[in-house]
Amino acid sequence: MKSFEFIAPRTLDQVVELLPGPRDQKVRDRVKLLAGGQDLLGELKEYLVAPDQVVNLKTVPGLSIFAEQDGRYELGALVTLAELEQSASLRRTHAMVAEAAGAVGSVQIRNQGTVGGNLCQRPRCWYYRHEQAVCIKKGGSECFAYGGLNKYNAILGGGPSYIVHPSDLAPALVAAGATATLKGKKGERTVELERFFTLPSEGAVTRENVLAPDEVLVRVEVPAMAGWTSTYVKFRERSSYDFALAAVALALRMDGGKIAEARLVLGGVAPIPWRCEKAEKALVGRRIDADTCSLAGKLALEGAEPLAHNAYKVPLAQGLVTKALRKLAGT
Amino acid sequence: MALDPIRLQDEKPPRPAAPGKKWLRVTKAVNGIDTEVWEEVADDTGGPQWGARESMRLVSREVPRVDGPDKVTGRATFSHDVRLPGMVYARVLRSRVPAAKVKLDLEPARKLPGVLAVVELGEGEVRWLGRPIAAVAATTPELAEDGVRAIVVSYEEQGFAVTPEKAAAENAPKVNSRGNVRVLSKNTDTSEIDAALAQAPVRVKGTWKIPVQHHASLESHGVVVDYRGGDEATVYASTQGTFTIPGDAAGRLGLKPNQVTAVVEHMGGGFGSKFGMGIEGEAACLLAKELKRPVHLMLDRSSEFHAAGNRSGGEHEIEAGVGKDGRILAFKARVTRHGGVGQGSGHPLPYIYARDNAVFVEDRCIHTNMDSSRAMRGPGHPQASFSMEGVMDECAYAVGMDLLEFRRINLPEGKRELYMRQLERCAELIGWKAHPHKSAPDRSDAEVKVGIGFAIARWGGGGNGQCKVEVRIAQDGSVEVLSGTQDLGTGTRTYCATIVAEELGLELEAVRARIGRSTFGSANASGGSTTAPSLAPSVKHAAHNARVALFEKVAPLLGATASELEVRPGEIRVAASPSKRIAWKDACAALGPNGLSAQGEWQAHLAGNDIGGAQAAKVSVDTLTGEVKVLEMVAVQDCGLVLNLMAAKSQLQGGMVQALSYGLFEERVVDPDLGLFLNANFEDYKIAGAADIPAMKAVFEDDPRGVIGMSEAAIIPGHSAIANAIHNACGVRLREMPMTADKILMGLAALKKG
Repeated sequence: MKSFEFIAPRTLDQVVELLPGPRDQKVRDRVKLLAGGQDLLGELKEYLVAPDQVVNLKTVPGLSIFAEQDGRYELGALVTLAELEQSASLRRTHAMVAEAAGAVGSVQIRNQGTVGGNLCQRPRCWYYRHEQAVCIKKGGSECFAYGGLNKYNAILGGGPSYIVHPSDLAPALVAAGATATLKGKKGERTVELERFFTLPSEGAVTRENVLAPDEVLVRVEVPAMAGWTSTYVKFRERSSYDFALAAVALALRMDGGKIAEARLVLGGVAPIPWRCEKAEKALVGRRIDADTCSLAGKLALEGAEPLAHNAYKVPLAQGLVTKALRKLAGT
Repeated sequence: MALDPIRLQDEKPPRPAAPGKKWLRVTKAVNGIDTEVWEEVADDTGGPQWGARESMRLVSREVPRVDGPDKVTGRATFSHDVRLPGMVYARVLRSRVPAAKVKLDLEPARKLPGVLAVVELGEGEVRWLGRPIAAVAATTPELAEDGVRAIVVSYEEQGFAVTPEKAAAENAPKVNSRGNVRVLSKNTDTSEIDAALAQAPVRVKGTWKIPVQHHASLESHGVVVDYRGGDEATVYASTQGTFTIPGDAAGRLGLKPNQVTAVVEHMGGGFGSKFGMGIEGEAACLLAKELKRPVHLMLDRSSEFHAAGNRSGGEHEIEAGVGKDGRILAFKARVTRHGGVGQGSGHPLPYIYARDNAVFVEDRCIHTNMDSSRAMRGPGHPQASFSMEGVMDECAYAVGMDLLEFRRINLPEGKRELYMRQLERCAELIGWKAHPHKSAPDRSDAEVKVGIGFAIARWGGGGNGQCKVEVRIAQDGSVEVLSGTQDLGTGTRTYCATIVAEELGLELEAVRARIGRSTFGSANASGGSTTAPSLAPSVKHAAHNARVALFEKVAPLLGATASELEVRPGEIRVAASPSKRIAWKDACAALGPNGLSAQGEWQAHLAGNDIGGAQAAKVSVDTLTGEVKVLEMVAVQDCGLVLNLMAAKSQLQGGMVQALSYGLFEERVVDPDLGLFLNANFEDYKIAGAADIPAMKAVFEDDPRGVIGMSEAAIIPGHSAIANAIHNACGVRLREMPMTADKILMGLAALKKG
């Protein structure tokens, strides 16, 4: 990696001061924020970024807060994935979030990886990750995956880039209706996490979220989900540690054996956590049976446009929707 | 006509052996395993014997490896760990394109602070992606990397073909002057075999695709060259051939081979990829020669993938004709090896079965602008096993026959008993009897289905006479065994000590094994599973000679002759009158200050060769997600005298794991248009981890023969058994590895469509 200045600020204001101005898109990569480092170190070592300064967030107090009140949670950006995974209370109230955290990488990565880092991590597409492939994500003109080796790429929401969002936490937190608080030079703003992530066709194609160059994600708030049950089902090619080929975050509120309300978000199939509102609506009023599973799977994958090598993701994601529904039905 | 190398291995010796002699198929391993020759050797020299196995205290028992604690605590020094005064670090610059004329401007690198030396590698022409073209030495690894990136390279790019499809296409850029597609076999006339196939009532046809696998040794390739000027150098090398180093290094350092010592204290895996110094070793020598300082050059992981070898991939187009009685009447194959700029190892088809009737194999290779393949654990055999065992199951299902019965019918006469005994043992261990789907795959609507598959392996594993071993007994009673050999990870150091301790009646801790240094006795490179069968008999011989020499010294003290003595734990006594005895320490004190030194050489009668093994796998297939879980694997293996049951089991299990990983995960991915290696890292080049590994049983048969190497046989059948188990479970025949969920799901969809 290229040499850089390593800065250990003491306050969040100092962090924001070090960042470029809100419109300084071109120089935003000159300063990189370090949380758990699980993504950043790879990016540095592969020369995907070569910042002049790396700012360590771990010396900033207050970013590790993990507070629960009446089933609502405040998760500081530096809360580790291991903490989420091991929280008995979170597992009780928001099982899908704890399960998603536990599905990330390996034990070592979960001990080190953070909420903020996991949500802001960059794509894993092997073209993006190859220094020599100057793809559209890196300011080039082409998505090499589109006509190339795209087994792991998007079947939904793709174009002009076909990455999939690699986060496990994101689909679960989106399904939970979480919000993210971002701090910039002009103060804080709070956005729904669902609006935090951007499709390549909507936002800047070289980024995956709405963070401005001067902003840092400081915390996530998760609303209470009393009366809901939820689960996160992830399919990995390699069980030991792997990113999702497809994943399902599912939350249900049941009423007398029927679904009263549903949230269904797919991971690993689109450039953002893929909310399936049509399927959510169709689930309401139904019992969980084979027909319901198949209907939900069908609607969730509606509009899927597989590339040459990833058509399998359609039946796979449908299968995972079925598994998630059955799991919550206890069958 | 079958492939030449196979015929060579199976040929009978030229004539019956002379009295007192026997024929041995001796493996001559050059860069892995290349040839086997028949050698007539003394059947029994009247020298040492392994003796009755039930009386052994240490040999053949479960002995934890003597260097295990050092390895798991980090005390063991691998080449990568060597730190020397004044040492500098080197990195290599790889070509970013597969084919080009390159011109380098090294000056920008030389001007960087901390960069001490820069050398150019190669002759300005690149024929494969990632070829090292320069190396930089600097005071830290990071500065060396900065130096590498400061070199300005002008590429005059040429057309390239990095995949076999591209290379075989019309008007493809020429990889080399010999042509991209080369037919290696002499006979290409298929008229006879086609006629034989036409007569067979049932025919099975398919194309098997085998990806390129990587050795993925945890310790990368590289050396630390300790040269500080003058006429001496020490090279710490991660190698499977201690004695392949001094000659290579001397040439580059401008020294004589006897001025260079190779040290291989511990090495972190080679699997066939680490013979000789390689380009990286040459670079380190050139830098050390220029700087007169120790140079540390170990490849990074990406370079390891790009430029340190691989297992050749390939394509097998196979057609088999089967009689109603289950006999394979005709077997036709076209083998295409994918060995990059190299030729690739031969894929020996037909593998073990179906050799008695009409057989035709065309052997070809397709060259690409990628790193040459190298030998890899059982070169060619896992590839051949994959398609052959697939053909076996497909044929068995086609005639509706039990998978084991079908194998029995098509095994060669001389091997039928061996393999059926092993297969039946596997069947028993994995629960075949109770399995409902023996002659047809499960076609039920169950969501999660379970299947069982079988496969077999053969290997030579014979030794040869390249090892000289010394055993030293000091006046204070301490014992050393010395050999220049290297421990590839198979437990060499441990059995050296075990054999000597057994022979001298000592505890294992009393014997120190010193290996991995070219100043010790010569030893063969570890290829073709030849290490144990070459070394162990030599160790036994040296230990035997040391014991006899000690007896000569001690006999007068006991008022007996040497031939009347025997060792017992910690003492030497007169066999006929056990009260006449002397403690080990007292016996050694009689040796005087010179102690005792005995030499040992290879004893053919203490080794054997030619082994077989069978494995079975039980898998579940989730038809909803395509997930394959290997539930259980079992292996039954013969290998003569097991030197250390614990180490042997771990070799067999390691082979099963590596085969599972090959079958389910591993594959080199190269973009054909961009000419980029897309998964040259441990994230995207997927290797099985603990959670992917099933319960495993490793069973060794009682085998009265001497020592035979078996570690390569271990990797040959596992993935084939898994492929067959998948087919058995759900009816999807995957003729392409890795057998990932996407292929299962698409296969299931195709089955549904009919």
